Amino acid sequence: MTDDTFSGVNRRNLLKLTAVAGVVAGTGLLSARTAAAEEGLSLKGKRIGISTAGTDHFFDLQAYNAQVEEVKRLGGEPIAVDAGRNDGKLVSQLQTLIAQKPDAIVQLLGTLSVIDPWLKKAREADIPVFTIDVGSVNSINNSTSDNWGIGKDLALQLVSDIGGEGNIVVFNGFYGVTPCAIRYDQLVNVTKYFPKVQIVQPELRDVIPNTVQDAFTQITAILAKYPEKGSIKAIWSAWDIPQLGATQALTAAGRTEIRTYGVDGSPEVLQLVADPNSPAAADVAQQPAELGRVAIRNVARYLAGETLPRETYVPALLANKQNVGEVSKKLGIG
Amino acid sequence: MLVDAPYIPASVIEIEAQKAFETGKPGPAFGRQLATIALRGGALAVFIGVLVVFSVTAPFFLTVGNIGNVLGQSAIAGVLAIGLTIVIIAGGSNVVTGGIDLSLAANMGLSAAVYASLVQAGHGDGLAILGALGTGLAIGAVNAAAVTLAGIVPLLATLAVMNVVAGLELVLTQNTVVPASTDFLAALSAGGPFGIPVLAYILLGFTLVVAAIVQYTPLGLRLYAVGAFPDAARAAGLPVKSFVAGSFLASGLCGGLAGVLSVSYLSGSTTGAGDMLLPVVVTALLGTVFSRRLVPTITGTLLSALFVGFLINGFQLLNISSTLVSGVQGLLILLVVSATTLLGRKENA
Repeated sequence: MTDDTFSGVNRRNLLKLTAVAGVVAGTGLLSARTAAAEEGLSLKGKRIGISTAGTDHFFDLQAYNAQVEEVKRLGGEPIAVDAGRNDGKLVSQLQTLIAQKPDAIVQLLGTLSVIDPWLKKAREADIPVFTIDVGSVNSINNSTSDNWGIGKDLALQLVSDIGGEGNIVVFNGFYGVTPCAIRYDQLVNVTKYFPKVQIVQPELRDVIPNTVQDAFTQITAILAKYPEKGSIKAIWSAWDIPQLGATQALTAAGRTEIRTYGVDGSPEVLQLVADPNSPAAADVAQQPAELGRVAIRNVARYLAGETLPRETYVPALLANKQNVGEVSKKLGIG
Repeated sequence: MLVDAPYIPASVIEIEAQKAFETGKPGPAFGRQLATIALRGGALAVFIGVLVVFSVTAPFFLTVGNIGNVLGQSAIAGVLAIGLTIVIIAGGSNVVTGGIDLSLAANMGLSAAVYASLVQAGHGDGLAILGALGTGLAIGAVNAAAVTLAGIVPLLATLAVMNVVAGLELVLTQNTVVPASTDFLAALSAGGPFGIPVLAYILLGFTLVVAAIVQYTPLGLRLYAVGAFPDAARAAGLPVKSFVAGSFLASGLCGGLAGVLSVSYLSGSTTGAGDMLLPVVVTALLGTVFSRRLVPTITGTLLSALFVGFLINGFQLLNISSTLVSGVQGLLILLVVSATTLLGRKENA
């Protein structure tokens, strides 16, 4: 693969023989070299601690499994622990992980205030800490989707879909989770410039577990409170599991004029977006497996002596009614 | 339950003995003796066996730091389970009609939320500690009133209180994480002397104090009497209801204390305290197999909490896939409990 690119570039270089082609070839060579270096990455003999807040959602399961696979692929030994969305268990596991003195710890998700003191303890024990979707000062590198971009794209899609005016219902139960906070802030930033768009107060609190049932119940109650069509234009949530419950509630109540918006690209929600009759309007799909692989490759780079940027962004893809087919294909979902 | 043996009518025992005699099995007495020995040492032997296996196979297991970690990690569940044990001792250990406090985990959640909210509101640790312990005690008082004054079965009374308390926590925290960091909390969650976490010392100290009271004072003896032989205790002039009410107050206080520990461990109050309930109940029930006479004891509950803690820790150190841990753990508990139950039945027969 790499060799092909390499020779391909050279051939083109020879054919064109222009200064421009020279520049192109130069960049080509450069990228080919990085790719080669990438293939040379190794975690041989390294023990990598992988800690996750849970694996009960599509996003974290994909990222978690991809991390474990990538560590194995690079010849390392993963020590993988799953807290099952229990903060006490998460802290205990991190504590034990620190005692195991792995060559690095990668933390996937988790409430910052709960885990940060323990990430700090890991750092103090000279264990390099990496994170996925956790903006901690104690992490060397955070692999994440560009949540500012995600939040902005989703908010703009929403505002444009509803014609720049109307009431929107917002789930804001996880402002303590950094990516959710950024996405929410971006929604507020965008709606600030559309004075006719109002966030319905009080905001709703999405919960874990029973997220879908709870969102269903809460939205059903909201619909009863706002019975006239047009009194609510859209429902926004920082991830797409509340969106799933909200969409189901809208369908059940026959209020399909209201549109729903969320983030994560869970297959069941993408399916709803693909359904022309469903109120699910858009879902920004992250690439969780890619996030997991990127994080592990960053660990290998760091252990090989490279300097890493503070954050590594993996592109997210906004799926709406028009392009959901392409996005699903790109994510490798049915 | 095992400790209900005293309630089994003599006739039942006679019938059992008769059966054994008629079937002509050789030496039930000999079997019983063996079973008793196996039973008394059995659970402890399993515990020690598990420790030995982990020590040999799991790297880092047999280090002071790791053992300290397990002690510290068991502190919150341990304190709650000890509170539950006091209620079981005073109420009798029939799972359905005996003493039980299902509100303990929710109590811890609300107490922690009160602590974290007070700190967030700018109050000091002193007031926050009082708030948390007061919350726990108040919940204990409600339980006590529901059981002794209204006469509701503890299982139902504390189930109802659990729901009320969980609801109050939701109202207070809006189901969000309330971060709290103070010097006191940091000191609690830090490492103490010999690299052992402060929480570990708290668990050991707390167990020591409660065990001394429950197992070595006249008060403790009466507590056991009230639970095991309520009629006899009443006839002897013991205020049975006061003892039962007192046990709920004590367990409420344990919930408050666990709340304080949890705020320090999790750097605030978090959601999902209810998840602790079943592990705590399992710990308290499993605790009886670590006592010589198969009755709930404080030290037995501590051993049980540590047993569960060491299992989880050992699995992680052995790098056994996290998806397998809870299954294997449940299987082991089932094995230990059924073995001791079967043996216990033999001993009682």
